[in-house]
Amino acid sequence: MGTQVPEDAIARPLRQALLDCAAGRMSGVLRVTGHPSGTIHFREGRIIAAETPGAPGLEVILLRSKRLDESGWDAAFAAAAASGSEMRDELVARDLVGVGELQALLRAAVADAVFAMAFGVVDSCRAEPRAVGPLVTLDPGAKAEWLLIETWRRIQLLGSFPDPAGHARVRVVTVPGAMRPGLVLGGGRDELVALSDGRRTPRDLAFALGRGVYATMLQLSRMQADGLILTISGSAASSAEAANGGRPPAPEDGQRTADGLPRRRKDLAGQPGRADGRELPSAFRLLRLRYGEGTTPGGTR
Amino acid sequence: MAEDALLAEMRALRERVAGITGTAVASRDGLIVREDTGGVDPDNLAALAATWLALAQRMSNEVGQGTLREAMTKSSSGCVAIYAVGVRAVLVLIGDEGVDITSLRSESRGSLDAIGALLADSGDQRVPL
Repeated sequence: MGTQVPEDAIARPLRQALLDCAAGRMSGVLRVTGHPSGTIHFREGRIIAAETPGAPGLEVILLRSKRLDESGWDAAFAAAAASGSEMRDELVARDLVGVGELQALLRAAVADAVFAMAFGVVDSCRAEPRAVGPLVTLDPGAKAEWLLIETWRRIQLLGSFPDPAGHARVRVVTVPGAMRPGLVLGGGRDELVALSDGRRTPRDLAFALGRGVYATMLQLSRMQADGLILTISGSAASSAEAANGGRPPAPEDGQRTADGLPRRRKDLAGQPGRADGRELPSAFRLLRLRYGEGTTPGGTR
Repeated sequence: MAEDALLAEMRALRERVAGITGTAVASRDGLIVREDTGGVDPDNLAALAATWLALAQRMSNEVGQGTLREAMTKSSSGCVAIYAVGVRAVLVLIGDEGVDITSLRSESRGSLDAIGALLADSGDQRVPL
């Protein structure tokens, strides 16, 4: 069984495990350990879902991009749980998303998740031939060979940029002066510029905006080539942030306890807390001072 | 006072776990020690974390389940977890929808020891943390 993807193009354990699960017509899960880790769901050798902390799943893509509001998702979830029906059928029956659109989004999400794992570091893969039902599944599932070719294409395209803005550890920051007031970039780039504060990685931006991680990396690479954004390593990001007002609050010395922790003033909330539960009323008093008597903390913001 | 070391430890934790968007350390009576959240109100966060930790520990105690390991909220667009740092401080981790919970749990354990040691180093060595 041949694939057009060169053997060393994609992390070997992942490539081999995908092909083995497909050849064995497995129904079950493939657990991928690495950075990021993830789970790939199979039904009779086809990939029906994939989850990883490295790429947003369907729920994030639908909700964060505002294609769907949360109440609609929750109602479909509750109905599916109560009746034992498929979540995908509930979403479609409620007219929240079309059959074709759902299939396209799921296919994109599966490809994105596999790409995120392949583009990272794969330590090992373990197949568990038993069904673990993912919430929403692709039907019909994707073929492993298609996924491998798609993943390879994506890695190649990102690799064609001199400084691909794609690596997991880099933080993205807008180039100072690149944006003039009133300038609109369009094409989804303005949202990326607005959120590129030096704290977020391309993966974080993808989650924040409900977009695919590959699409986000590709767009960031183009924006980097256009001089709109820069990527910085994690440690450089931290020091840039610190210079930019990162906040060590540091009350004055007189307000610290012997162990260096800040000290609560007696007139506000009594003695510094102890582990015997006396800190509980003290913290409640503080919350009341902050939010006002009788208010619910969560309700005021 | 090893304050920069504390902030560095918190940031290193954020680097190691995909999806952590912010970290904070607060004292058990609800004052902020260090925060790296990128925009969450640190005073409110510290007050809520201290209260929540005390409540969670009392809950564990009430139902006879021993030492509290973690308390977590999961919401439609993320999660917040808290861990006791010794008996005097609390570590707050804020994550997005995709945060790697498994690695958050394993990585935070090492950081708790390091943060506890930094807080102990910063003050009177005789005060047990």
